[in-house]
This record gives sequence, C-alpha cells and structure tokens, in this order.
Amino acid sequence: MMTLLEVRDVSVSFDGFRAINNLSLSIGEPELRAVIGPNGAGKTTFMDIVTGKTRPDSGEVLWGERQIDLLRLSESQIAREGIGRKFQKPTVFEDQSVRANLSMAVRNKRGPFAVLIWRATVQDHQRIAELAEEIGLTERLDDRAGDLSHGQKQWLEIGMLLAQDPRLLLVDEPAAGMTPSEREHTTDLLKRAAQTRAVMVIEHDMDFIRRLDCRVTVLHEGSVLAEGSLDHVTKNQQVIDVYLGR
Amino acid sequence: MTLINRPPVAATPPILAQGAEASPPPRRSFLRENPSIPWFLGLLTIFTVIVSVLSEGLGIGALSTSMVKILGMTLCLCLIAIAMDVVWGYCGILSLGHFAFFGLGGYAIGMWLMYARTEIVIRDSMAGAVLPPTDAELSEAVAAQIFGVVGSSELPLIWSFAHSLPAQLALVVAVPGLLALVFGWLAFRSRVTGVYLSILTQAMTLALALYLFQNDTGLRGNNGLSGLQNIPGLLDVPQAVLAVWFLWASATALGLGYLLFAWVVSGKFGSVIRAIRDNEARVRFLGYNVEGYKLFVFTLTAIVSGIAGALYYPQAGIINPAELAPIASIYLAVWVAIGGRGRLYGAVIGAATVSLLSSWLTGGGAPNIEIGAFRLMWADWWLVLLGLGFVAVTLFFPKGIGGLFDKIVRKAP
Repeated sequence: MMTLLEVRDVSVSFDGFRAINNLSLSIGEPELRAVIGPNGAGKTTFMDIVTGKTRPDSGEVLWGERQIDLLRLSESQIAREGIGRKFQKPTVFEDQSVRANLSMAVRNKRGPFAVLIWRATVQDHQRIAELAEEIGLTERLDDRAGDLSHGQKQWLEIGMLLAQDPRLLLVDEPAAGMTPSEREHTTDLLKRAAQTRAVMVIEHDMDFIRRLDCRVTVLHEGSVLAEGSLDHVTKNQQVIDVYLGR
Repeated sequence: MTLINRPPVAATPPILAQGAEASPPPRRSFLRENPSIPWFLGLLTIFTVIVSVLSEGLGIGALSTSMVKILGMTLCLCLIAIAMDVVWGYCGILSLGHFAFFGLGGYAIGMWLMYARTEIVIRDSMAGAVLPPTDAELSEAVAAQIFGVVGSSELPLIWSFAHSLPAQLALVVAVPGLLALVFGWLAFRSRVTGVYLSILTQAMTLALALYLFQNDTGLRGNNGLSGLQNIPGLLDVPQAVLAVWFLWASATALGLGYLLFAWVVSGKFGSVIRAIRDNEARVRFLGYNVEGYKLFVFTLTAIVSGIAGALYYPQAGIINPAELAPIASIYLAVWVAIGGRGRLYGAVIGAATVSLLSSWLTGGGAPNIEIGAFRLMWADWWLVLLGLGFVAVTLFFPKGIGGLFDKIVRKAP
C-alpha cells in the first residue's frame, strides 16, 4: 500500500478559533478509513482543505507519486487530480435529469471548448447505464433529479462520485437519512470501492463504522487524538472522555 | 426504489455492477430535441415576409418606413435579449452591462458609416476643383467635417481603420469581445458573484458612457455619431427599401443567434452552465473550471450583443453615449425577466412585447386618458406601468410570459 495523500502539520484558524491544529494524517491506496470526532473537531474543515475550498495558514498537503502540493491547485484542478467529494447534504443539480447529472460527472475532458462539442459516445452511455444500475436509478434516468427522494439523491451523488472515477473519495456522512437496507448497500459499495482506491468516510453512526470494519481516525479540536481499529480507539481513555463518554 | 434493495452484487473491482446493459437513449436530431427552434424560425420567417409585403419599400405600403425600421430594430433588441438570457437565465450571471457591448458594436460600425459617407460628400464637393484632392487633403477635410462639432480637425487614432469596412466589421466583434474578456477575467478570477458582479457591470457601462460623453475621446462626445441611416455605396437606394433590407439582415442575425445559443445551451455545455447557476461550488468539485465557463459565456454573449448593436444603429440613424447609460442594461434584464428566464423564446417575447409597447406608449401612439380633472399621459406613466408589470411578473409568474407556454404544452396530450 502506497501513501496517496499526506497531510503534514496543517493549521487553520477562523477569527482566532483554531479549527485545525497541527493536523497530520495520511491515507494509502487502496484503503478504507473512517474519521470520527465530536462536533467542531474539524472533520469537515479537513475535507475543505484537501479539496481546496479552504486555504490553511500553515502546513502542506502532498498528493500522489509525484508529491504534488495540493495547496497550489484550485478546487477544479484538485478534482481533476482525482479527489472526489460527497457532501453531507445531498447536492445534486435538481433542475436537471439524473442522466445529465451523471453525464457531467463522467470522466471526460472538462474544458469549455471540449464540452461544447462533446457528444455522448457508446462508451459514455454504457458507463451511465452501469452507474444507474449500481445506484438503483435505471428507471429514473430521465427524471428530474429534484423529484427523487432524499435517499435517492444521496445515491445519485454517490453515483456522480463514482462516475468521476477518483483515486480518493471523501465521503461526508453518507448514511444520513438512509433506511437500514440502504445503509447496508452503502457500506457494501464503499467497501468495494476501497478495494481499488482510497476512501475516507466521515460518520457519526458507530454501527455504520463498525460495519465498515476499517482503520479509524479520531479527531478532536483539530488534531488526531487516536488512530487504529475501532476496538482499539474505543478503548482509549482520552477518546472515551471527549467523545464516547458523552 | 425497488432496485436499491436488491441483493448486493458480487465484489468485482472495478466497483461497477457487471452486466448492466447499456441503453443509449434513442438518438434524436438536434431539432427534434429543441422543438422551439423550428417554431421560432418559422414564425420569424412568416413575420419577415408579412412585414416585407406590407412595407412601403417593397410591398403594398400599409406599413410606414419608420414602422419597418422600428420592427427591424426590435429584432436586434430580441437578439441581445437572448444573449442576456444565456448569460443570466442559463449561467446565472446577472450582467447589467450588456448594453455597453451593444453600444460599442454600434460605434464600431458607425465610424465606418460616417467616415465613408463624409468622404463621398467631400469628394463630390471637390470634384469641380482644378486639381483632384490628394489622399492627405481628403482625410483632413473629412476630419474637419466630422470633428468640427467638438472643435477639432484631426482624425483621432482610433479612426485609423474607419475608411475600411472589413476592419470596422472586425472591430464590431473584437471591441466588445475584448472588453468582455478582460473585464470578465478580472471579475470572475476574483470570484466576484451575485449582486456585486451586477454592480460592477453597471459601473463598467456607466464609466464607458461618461468617458464617451467627453469631447476629446475621439467619438464626438455627446453628439455621438449621426447620419448612420445613409449607407455609403447604397446612397441611391431609397430609405424605404433599405429599411426592408435591414429588417432581413436583423431577422437573419436573430435566427442565426437563436440557433447558435440553442446549440450552446442544449448539450452538456448547457448542463454545466445551468449547474454553475444553481451551485457553482459543486461544479468546481466535479473538476470544471467555473471561471473559464463564465468567461466563455460572458464573452460570447458580449460579441453577439455587439453584432446586434451594429445592426440596430444604422436603422436608428444615430448613436450617442446616452445609449450606454446604465438604465438601458437594466431594461434588458427586465425584458428577459418578463419574458421568462432560462428559455430563449421567452427572452424574445419579453424584448419584443416590452420594447414595442414602450415605443407605442411613449411615441404618442396610445391615446391619453382623461380621468376627471386628471389627464393620464402615457409618456409619463409608462415607466410606472412597466415597474408594476415587473413586480407583478416577479410575484405571480416567476417564469415570465414564456412560462405560460409550459402550462399549455403540459396540458396538451
């Protein structure tokens, strides 16, 4: 397993509040990793930094074989490097069809001129059909995304993430608002995805994390409190104090 | 829903379900997918034929030449309205400065019209001289003639290509395009969005108008460029006929503009810009360079606006800096909002309805209404009416007049 993403000594503060405090963390490829922590521990800010939405005050974020410094890249360049992100709230383009949503996400050239003359090839259709099958939306490809149920929107967003074919998936609370059977499908999907790529899941639901059966990183006040198997971190006294005990 | 609960498929990287059958949607032609295009082009053709037949110049004379010009100019306004609809209704950039590009297109063609015609007039007046005038003398005389009103007799540098029609036609495209490119690059790169961008575009058009109002800018200050209805080379053609020719040119430009924009917004590009309108941060995380797309749309629509202006002002006959006043661009947004954002024909309906109503009511076409001692003068009250109409549309028909079509189409089996 090779290190895909390495975050070194990153700090960021908002109006004097240190959201991330000398955070160091790395993830390999392939790997499945769960990130937990109480509210305000810096989980979402961490994702913001990796995806280029927030610039840290100090530290570095290195990516891939060539150790590219992600802090120099824009959000869209980072996405093209192969980092995909799923937001906490499902954010799909409600005004457009499921097919259009997937089609935008499918890995293809992203420049305005290339997109202007782009027409779907047989492979593109095939890929969209496979994705729709995977996320259970085959019947609804031509419906407006806004007409889907909450769970289906979550699925569509996961589908869009897979369509991007990223090397690293950052997934923020994927199970929120899902039924138990949908959760099971999600766990299954994430585990399969993690066989070929790096997947980092932020989640509050302990049962969900237990089912993921992976290495767990506990964040607290913007830095790593503990790391290891779920059983290992849940036995850690500090973790119990700040998080599980409450 | 049923598919979500199916048993998980076997774990086989890559992680997609195997055996999913590709079911490409039936390939439909561009026109079949956009039924508004044949409708629009058909109606535009019928309109143009009817106006030609009724015109004074080529037909039975039921429509006055000035009416034909108004209709031709309205088509140009419809063209800039669909450009506005693409930049605002589709891409979500509320530009309140597109009339600056329209005006610049008008100035670019106006310079040639004025120069070439003045040159002809001077050549004619010097024809009786013993020696034919040299080029330098001719150019000097033209300059004195054009710039006498602003107390100058030298041809400014920006008139260097005014003698050449191809050069000025290139400038019709290049000047608005370049301004939009530079302005847009600066604004979008700094992630200026929403109301701040709108204010910035207002500032741009205001600054440009104020600059042009000055006498020493080389474009005749507040006099503007005039006599543009006289087309050099076609001076023998009566205005009545020219009006119809310009109507045809405007209709062709509108038709081509409609086709161009319908194509731009129909495919994946249209998907991406509508996605930018709805949630640009999300589009960035999909790997699209949002600023590049905005710049592309802003510049393309600016160029089309410039072309619309270049066709409009020869019909209007005069252009001056007041045309670039901030209010003009605000009207443009009002037309598009009333007609219906996010649908090209909506912009056309809005621009045509409001601008024709405006010229009817303010041009003394509508009778004033006596209410007791009070006299309702439409010329004064038109703006109030427009304002009320705008509020009413925003409150009760957020999709504008064009939105009504959706209801009709949906009701039909």
